[in-house]
Amino acid sequence: MPEKAGDRSIFSLHEVSRSIQKTLTERYNSSFWVKAEMNKLNYYKHSGHCYPELVEKKEGRVIAQIRANLWRDDYSRINQNFLQLLKEPLKDGIKILFRAKVSFDPVHGLALWIMDIDPAFTLGDLEAEKLETIHRLQQEGIYNRNKRHALPLLPQRIAIISVETSKGLADFLKVINGNDWNYRFFHLLFPSLLQGDHAAPAIISQLRRIRKVKDHFDVVAIIRGGGGDIGLTCYNNYELAKAIALFPIPVITGIGHATNETVAEMISFSNAITPTKLAEYLIQQFHNFSVPVQEAERRITELARRKVISEKDRFEGVLRSFRHLTENNIRLHYGEIRNLSGSLRQQVKFRMKYENESLQVTKRAIVKSAGNLCLQAGTAIDNFAVHIRKDSKKQLGHHSAVVSQLRQKLDVHSRLAVKEKILELKNVEKNINNMNPVNVLKRGYSITLRNGKVIRSGEEVNPGDIIHTTVFDGSITSIVQQSTQPDHES
Amino acid sequence: MKAKINYTEAFEELQHIVSEIEQGEISVDELSEKVKRATELIKLCKNKLATTEEDVNKILTELDTATDEEEDEDD
Repeated sequence: MPEKAGDRSIFSLHEVSRSIQKTLTERYNSSFWVKAEMNKLNYYKHSGHCYPELVEKKEGRVIAQIRANLWRDDYSRINQNFLQLLKEPLKDGIKILFRAKVSFDPVHGLALWIMDIDPAFTLGDLEAEKLETIHRLQQEGIYNRNKRHALPLLPQRIAIISVETSKGLADFLKVINGNDWNYRFFHLLFPSLLQGDHAAPAIISQLRRIRKVKDHFDVVAIIRGGGGDIGLTCYNNYELAKAIALFPIPVITGIGHATNETVAEMISFSNAITPTKLAEYLIQQFHNFSVPVQEAERRITELARRKVISEKDRFEGVLRSFRHLTENNIRLHYGEIRNLSGSLRQQVKFRMKYENESLQVTKRAIVKSAGNLCLQAGTAIDNFAVHIRKDSKKQLGHHSAVVSQLRQKLDVHSRLAVKEKILELKNVEKNINNMNPVNVLKRGYSITLRNGKVIRSGEEVNPGDIIHTTVFDGSITSIVQQSTQPDHES
Repeated sequence: MKAKINYTEAFEELQHIVSEIEQGEISVDELSEKVKRATELIKLCKNKLATTEEDVNKILTELDTATDEEEDEDD
């Protein structure tokens, strides 16, 4: 009861609280359905109770806010319902439709006691949120942005956003690292949470890091798996979806779940149901490259071989027809030549015969002419001989007369000449006799010799020399006593 | 041989050679040259399938040093 102090009634806090509690309990004696946004769940692990923070916003501003109580058993039951229907636990930031009673506790104050939550309402709301994300991306014209990138022929360098311990990552790596075709991939892990409320910002943060080194990668793979189907609404997050859509290289997803496709998966370059399938998708890209290369190798080998064979065949064909034509031609010409040679022989024969005949004719003509000529010549010679005989007798007679005359002349002339010459000779003989040394000696002259040589000068002898002197009638031998010689004036 | 080509160009050139040969556009004289070129391209392509040249350390260094690139929403 209140204390009285003058005209004042003073209540204790407890009394006021009790009063409010009583009033509210009487006024709000039954439960009712409320819709609100659960800003925070405020789950206390230790007690298992939750103290959600409920708000209502209008145009971004909070226009109502009230604390709620969600007791352990209720929470547990409601959470199960959520997981079943939404594949999401009760969590911060969702809109809920709940049945509650107003509760007032003197210590803890006013609260809404949440007795039940309808998961279908939240589901619809999440779905609406997803649709809203899609709508916004479409509005901004970026919904297909990532899909429009060209995946390199060989998406070989992979930036992986995943968790080291993820079973999905292990599955993925097993396929790409252990492939049977010796395809080689390069991959680098950018670790991130992959589910729950913190996943979206974590993934966005890693995307931002990858962007710095994007030239080293062909593709980004977001890989999750082995975590059940819970907590995937983050992939409907607008910010995350936008980050993926605008990423400068293809982003591929293998998130691994059985529920509806999330927005992130829808707008990614390519999505696979599981990490294993995603790895197979990449392997397939390699096949798409490798198979045509092998096919090209096979085709080129085959075509080149075929081409060479066909050229060889063609060449042999040409050769055959060339040989054939040549042989025909030779055969043809051989016949012609044989004919020609036959006719040549024939013509030569004719010609020879003709020439022979004309030779014979000529020969006969010559013989005949020669005979005539000989006859004529014979007659001429006979005539000539007669002439010669006649002429020579005449000439002989003539010349004999001349010779007789000349002989008479010669007789006369030679007799006169001899007489003359004898006279001349008699004169010469007389002179010669006068000149004879004997006749000289007779006249008293002598000849003196020394050593058989005539001495003509006193100089030729010296006193003592023996000299022989011949006289007309004998000789004298003398010894020189003296010799003189005239003085020569000259 | 022209300057080093990447595997995409090699792949395309290879396809081109195949179609050229298939369409009989290549004479026997050119054939040997084309086959030789195709062999080089095939080797290059096969080699690309089986090797990568990325270096983790280099990427990590770049990650540490690179500044945040502006997210350009209009790219």
